[in-house]
Amino acid sequence: MTDDQKPGAVAVGETPAGSTEPETAEQRTLRFERDALPFLDQLYSAAMRMTRNPADAEDLVQETFAKAYASFHQFKEGTNLKAWLYRILTNTFINSYRKKQREPQPSLAEDVEDWQLARAESHTSSGLKSAEAEALERLPDSDVKEALSKLPEDFRLAVYLADVEGFPYKEIAEIMDTPIGTVMSRLHRGRRQLRSMLTDYARERGMRVDSTSSGAKS
Amino acid sequence: MTEQQPSGTDCATALANMFFFLDHELAKADEDEIQRHLADCTPCLRKYDLERTVKTLVARSCTERAPEALRERVLVQIRQVHIEITERPGT
Repeated sequence: MTDDQKPGAVAVGETPAGSTEPETAEQRTLRFERDALPFLDQLYSAAMRMTRNPADAEDLVQETFAKAYASFHQFKEGTNLKAWLYRILTNTFINSYRKKQREPQPSLAEDVEDWQLARAESHTSSGLKSAEAEALERLPDSDVKEALSKLPEDFRLAVYLADVEGFPYKEIAEIMDTPIGTVMSRLHRGRRQLRSMLTDYARERGMRVDSTSSGAKS
Repeated sequence: MTEQQPSGTDCATALANMFFFLDHELAKADEDEIQRHLADCTPCLRKYDLERTVKTLVARSCTERAPEALRERVLVQIRQVHIEITERPGT
């Protein structure tokens, strides 16, 4: 539509600078409803994982859409709208919700190269994995949500963005405003902790998770 | 564990790249290398399968539907802002 939108250069309600065909406020509203609103369920799902309760998730999503609408003239059509919305969601969460939630965060140094730890795990439980994978597959969604909710917030968000939304590392780094190496580290650690918890849940439910040794590594 | 596989990719490399592979963050050539290794190495394949399972599980379990009331609130909010904009003098 318009191809010379300068972020921050125009106020809401004005025509983006340099556009040949001015977009009316009405057109913009329609465009927003058409393009951005379909992400409501996805953003709500993400907000639920972030805030871990429906009331805060609803408020967070509403605030996100309000902000997104207010700066929609800055969004360049044809670029990644989903990533743009997620960035607003994440910023809003970090700036206004994280503070008030004050969850006790497990202290975990993030600078350890996690893939090296994964390597160190090696093949010690080889031959047992099929049973474990099968057991995990049978876990109810509620267990997975529960386990996710127990992950440190940054790990949880990285895992969510990668596994549910399928964002590339580069975009996750932009959304979370961190270096890509940090994203990788969060992903590795988050997944390892998650798997360990899920395996425990499966065991608690009486599912067979391995055939010889017991005890998942934590 | 560094069992050398005929393909050239050893287990350590395969495991170090596991998440990159599953997240499609590897170059095509490296992906092919890993793929060849997995075809030969059952322990690595099992490990990959397990991590893939976890990844799929997270995706499966986290889909929520926004409450209808929220959808309506968002719409009302947008339209309110829209009215404020259109009523602003000079626009």
